[in-house]
Parts: sequence; structure tokens; C-alpha cells
Amino acid sequence: MTTISVSTVMSNGRGALVNVRQRSLLMAKWRVLWVVLGFAVIAFLALTRIAYLGLFEPAPSRQTYGTSLLPERGDIADRHGVPLARAFPAYSLWYNPAALGTDGPPLVRKPREVAEALVRIFPDLEVNALTARLADGRPGYLRRRILPEDANRIHGLGEPALEFPRETERFYPQGSMAAHILGFVGADGHGHVGMEQVFDDRLTDPAQRGTPAMLSIDTRVQGALEDELLRGMADANAKGAAGIVLDVETGEVMALASLPSFNPNLIDRAGEGFIFNRVTNQVYELGSTFKPITVAAAIDAGVVTDLSKRYQSNRAISIGGFELNDSHALGASLNVPEALIHSSNIVTAQIADDVGGERLNATMRALGMDKRAQIELPARGMPLWPKGKWSRITTMTVAYGHGIAVTPLHLASAYGALVNGGIWRPATLLKVEPGQAAPGVRVFKASTSARMRQLLRMIVEIGTGKKANALGYRVGGKTGSAEKPGAGGYRESSLVATFAAAFPMDQPRYVVIIMLDEPQGTVATSGQRTAAFNAAPVVGRLVPRIGPLLGIMPDNTRDVDISDLAPLVGKGKSE
Amino acid sequence: MNLTRDRMRSIGWAAVLLTCFTFTVVLTFKVNAVKSEVRLAERQILAVKQDKLLLETEFETRANQQQLRSLNQVEFGYQAPAAGQYLEGERQLADLGKARGADAPSPIRVAKADAPSGPAALPEMVNPLTGKAMAAEPAKGGKSKPTTDATLSDRLNKVDRREVRDQ
Repeated sequence: MTTISVSTVMSNGRGALVNVRQRSLLMAKWRVLWVVLGFAVIAFLALTRIAYLGLFEPAPSRQTYGTSLLPERGDIADRHGVPLARAFPAYSLWYNPAALGTDGPPLVRKPREVAEALVRIFPDLEVNALTARLADGRPGYLRRRILPEDANRIHGLGEPALEFPRETERFYPQGSMAAHILGFVGADGHGHVGMEQVFDDRLTDPAQRGTPAMLSIDTRVQGALEDELLRGMADANAKGAAGIVLDVETGEVMALASLPSFNPNLIDRAGEGFIFNRVTNQVYELGSTFKPITVAAAIDAGVVTDLSKRYQSNRAISIGGFELNDSHALGASLNVPEALIHSSNIVTAQIADDVGGERLNATMRALGMDKRAQIELPARGMPLWPKGKWSRITTMTVAYGHGIAVTPLHLASAYGALVNGGIWRPATLLKVEPGQAAPGVRVFKASTSARMRQLLRMIVEIGTGKKANALGYRVGGKTGSAEKPGAGGYRESSLVATFAAAFPMDQPRYVVIIMLDEPQGTVATSGQRTAAFNAAPVVGRLVPRIGPLLGIMPDNTRDVDISDLAPLVGKGKSE
Repeated sequence: MNLTRDRMRSIGWAAVLLTCFTFTVVLTFKVNAVKSEVRLAERQILAVKQDKLLLETEFETRANQQQLRSLNQVEFGYQAPAAGQYLEGERQLADLGKARGADAPSPIRVAKADAPSGPAALPEMVNPLTGKAMAAEPAKGGKSKPTTDATLSDRLNKVDRREVRDQ
């Protein structure tokens, strides 16, 4: 174009020609400049882009281990780190009809074929309902939680509309075990009932949820306790059962079970009824298991200085229209060890009368019997505590565990103080580091506690608790069979059978409380309803299972020395 | 082309500068490439850790206390060991290996008949170094190792008898 214009101009005057030529050259230069500039800008942009990509790498956002592996809700673990509750990225099955685009059918194959393939994986689904669901074309969950291998099989169907997103859910690998301790996480994302509720803030705090919350319980002990309780409950055909294993030196709860239990993975209407915790929430008149506490209070107060002193035991005590009696005749008189071994109400009432209401009241208060049990769990029952100044009859009935209703946990803490040298400590579900145990309150003198160890051991060796005598474990304890109060007085047919035990008696480390609610006389319990035949055998089977796990090895060569008390006990008939 | 000394020097400097710049850019690219690889590896580690968590949870679930209990009830029937199965310290252990007293009764011995020796059912073990069968090896201390079927059943019989005796 430039050449043509120049050639036309050539025919004109020379001056005009120079002008035109200069202008054309200028224009050509400008055009070249623009083109070069254009290329330069593009090259610059490309280089910048390359440099940016090469130098700064913005694409994959960097994730640290900490933030990526941080669970949405912290784990709960037992004292050895075994996970009991965990945030678990479970697969769910989601139907997304828009996966193949909005125009055209949502599925590659016919809905019926896909439905049949899904039913082969999940046999509980119904083909016709599922076909209708797939043909309907609405997105939604087909299943809430599926196993990884099922997810693989669905992947193998080759249907892009069947998605399996991973969703974080609360999962309890141990199923219904320790359900009452753990509780569950509701649809609102907050914990309910157990430690899930107590730890709610800690488990959801980003700064703390990375490390699991440690509980004091031991999974193996908990498993053994639930196993044996279940067996004891089935043997005695009982309505319910409760059990607790408590460390007497630290107050740590090693295991705590309330049966029947529920499954925290699946809270339904059937499970809701069992959420109630019999160990911490339900109060019972625990009967004769209170007798050792009364005797300890008497020894501690200096009321009983001579264990060979004999009390009458064949005449019922009647005070103000009430009559205190024994379930069966125990002879004309008994001394203190005999009274405990044969579980005499009459003798215990006399001892309590000597102690006096004020002192027995003070001891019971010091053992925390007038307050809710001390433990972290939110559901704690209020004891039925006789208010005001105790009358003679109140003192006497409390002495053998009637007229006062407490939780099994109260009894466990009290027995801890009875055998550990006299120090009462609150129970805890948190792991206590060595040397960090609560200081506790002194309730009994160390000498009283030593005497009680002998007496409790004698009850198991020659008294009502023989069936709890696990060989080599030096078990000591006391039976208690209390009638449940009903309309118009006590109901003779419905009992609460309790066995409160501690082992090994030469140096007590653990208290075990086993309670059966309304046991029946069955063939397995020799037709008896009392604790000696249903709760005591549970202890006898449980202790050999948990002893070695807790570091207590059986040893037939050592035991608490009862040689000074043995001559006081005649070989009489026991309950 | 007329190149003066100064001009040569300038071109030289420019060339050096360009080379340095090029190397810097190449090095930076390389560094970033390695960084990307590290990040990829990190992501893979993360994925593996999550898988591990998943498998661990699955294992815990399949091996939970209730499962183990029912398995034990149906399959094994293991029970807690009794007091007699424990030893209290070195003294009791030493007591088990005590020499027989002067007038103690001699221990009961069980009579046995040797099982008839048949052909060797098991292939003989071959020494990986020499490639020869163990029986053909010159035995140390002049005694060959028991490899025949007869001696094996002999040993198994002994084990069986010991179990019976323990029961």
C-alpha cells in the first residue's frame, strides 16, 4: 500500500514527494512500533505469568498436618489411650441427579436396574421404593452411613449420580460399652448425658481438640465388669444392675456400668429408656452394706473398745411402735465380728444406739452421704437423707442401711475411706497423674481402718460373702439385701442386692460395688434372692478377671492377719 | 564491526549478568518444582494418615470388647488364670527347679512304645550355604540332627503326653 501511494506521488512535484515520503515512513514506523509493542505486551504478560507460576505457586493451598488432621470434635480415650469416642469420617450415600447434567436422564442405566444392583449391596432396601426414589429425580440421602467396602462396590456400579461424600460423625468403636460414662452427641452437635456433655467445650475448642481427653477408666476392666454384671443379672433374672470399680488411693473410677445399657451410636426410642444411670443417679436403700460403716464409727468414737463384748441378738428392739428384727434367729448373743459375719440388724442397732445420732450423723456427713455424689457426670441423684436431729429410731435404721437412700457411688467412696486408712476422696472420671490425687478428708483413724480390713475379710472368709472369695485375691466385703420401699411399707418380694467389696485386703487398692435391682430366686442362685447368692458370686468371678489387669497378682501366701479376731467367732450358721 | 575494549567489556558484563539472571530463574523454577513435590508428598502423607485413622477405627470396632467376648465364648473359652498359675517372686521359681530330696519318691514315668518308622513325609531341610541336605552335612559334635519322620512323631508324642500329664 505504501509503495503504491509513493508511486502515484512520484509523478507530482519533488517537494511534495519528499513530504509524502516522510509522512509515509513515519506512519510505517508507528505501525511497526505498535505491532512490536503489542508483541512485547503479550510476551511480557506471558513471562509474568510463567514467572508468577514458577515463583509463587498459588495453585494448591498449603495445608498443615495440624489443621487437616484436627477432628471436628476431639476424641475421648481411656487411661491407656484406647479410643472410646472418635470423630469419624464415615461415608454416606447421596443421590445427585444433576451429576450427568440437567438435560437427559440422571442415570446411565434404567432406574430399576440400578435399584436392583443397590439392593444386592444393601439387602434391607426395597426394590420398588428405591426405583421410585431414583426415577423421582430429587437429590437426597439414600443411606446415612455405609461401610468403605460398600462404597467401593457402589463405585463399581459406574453411576456418577450415586455419590458417597465423607461426613464427620461421632463414632463409638466399643458400641454400648461405657455408654453411661460417655453419653452421646445429639443432632445439635452437643454432647448429652455423660462426659460428652462435661467435655463439650473442651472437645470443640480448636486449641485443645487435637489431643484426646483421657478418662480414668480402663477399657478391659470396663468390659469385664459389664460382662460379669450381665451374667449376674441374667442368672438372677434381675431388672437392672449397677457396678463400679474404684481406686481407693486416688478416687479414680476404673469402670462404671449401669445395665441395661444403650448404644450411643444409635439413639432410638428403645435406647432412650436406658440412658438413666443407676450408679450415679438412682438412690437405693443399700441395707446391710452400711453396717461396717456403723461399726467403724463406733470403733472410731471409742464406743466399741472391746470387740468381744456381747450384745443380745434374739429379742426384737421396739421403739415408738417400730420393731427392728433380724431376718432369721442368730442365737442369744453376738459379739461385733459375729454380728457383721451374720449380718445382725439387732446388734448393729444397739451399737448405733451407743454411738448416738449426732456422731453417726457426723460420720455419714463426712462420707458425703447428705450431698449428691462427687463425680464429673452431670446426672447425679440427691440422697434421701433424714433431716434434722436424728431420733433413736432413725439412728438405728440408718445403722443398717434403711431410712437413708444413696447411690452406689456414695457407697463406693465410703468403702474407699473405710479400707484405705480412713481418707475419703471424691470419685473422678479423669485420669489422675501419679502424686496428683486429691488430698481428701480424714474420716476414720488409720487404726479403725486397719480393724475394718480384718472384719471385712472375715465376712468373706467365713461369713455371708463366701461366694465372693476369689482365691489368692484377699477379697473383703459385705453383703446387703434391702427390701425396696413400695406403697404402704417395704415390699418383701422386691429386693436390692448389693455386695460392697475391696481387694486385696492386706493393702486395699480397689473397691468393687455390685448391685442387682430386684433379683429373683432362680436355679442359678439356689432359689435365693439375697446378695450372698447373686451379687457376691459376681464379685467372685469379676475380681480374678480384673485383678491382674490392675496389677494385683493372686497370691495364696499372703493375707491380712485376722488371727487376733478369729478366736472371737464361733463356727455358727451364716445367712 | 569495530569493537573497542570498553565495548567488549560492557558486552562481557552484560553476558555475565544475563547468564546469572538465567541461572537464577532456572534455579528458582527448580526450587519451586521441588517445593511442589514436597507439598504433593505432604498431601499423600495426609491422605495415608486419614486412611490409617479409618482403618484403625475399623479395627477397633471389629475387635471391640463385646466382639472379643462373644468370640471367646464361642471359640476359645479362655478363663482368667487361677492363683496357682502365678509365681510369687524368684524363690517360688527356684523352688520348682529344686533337686529331689534324698529320700523323696522317684517321679512317675509313663511307659511308651516307639512308633514304627515309615518313609520321611517331610522333605529334608537343605543347607542354603552348601546346598546339601542337613542329614548329609557333617554334624557338629559328631551327632546328627533329628530329621526323620520317626523322630518327629516321636517328639510330637512326647508333647502330647506332657499335655495329658498337665491336665
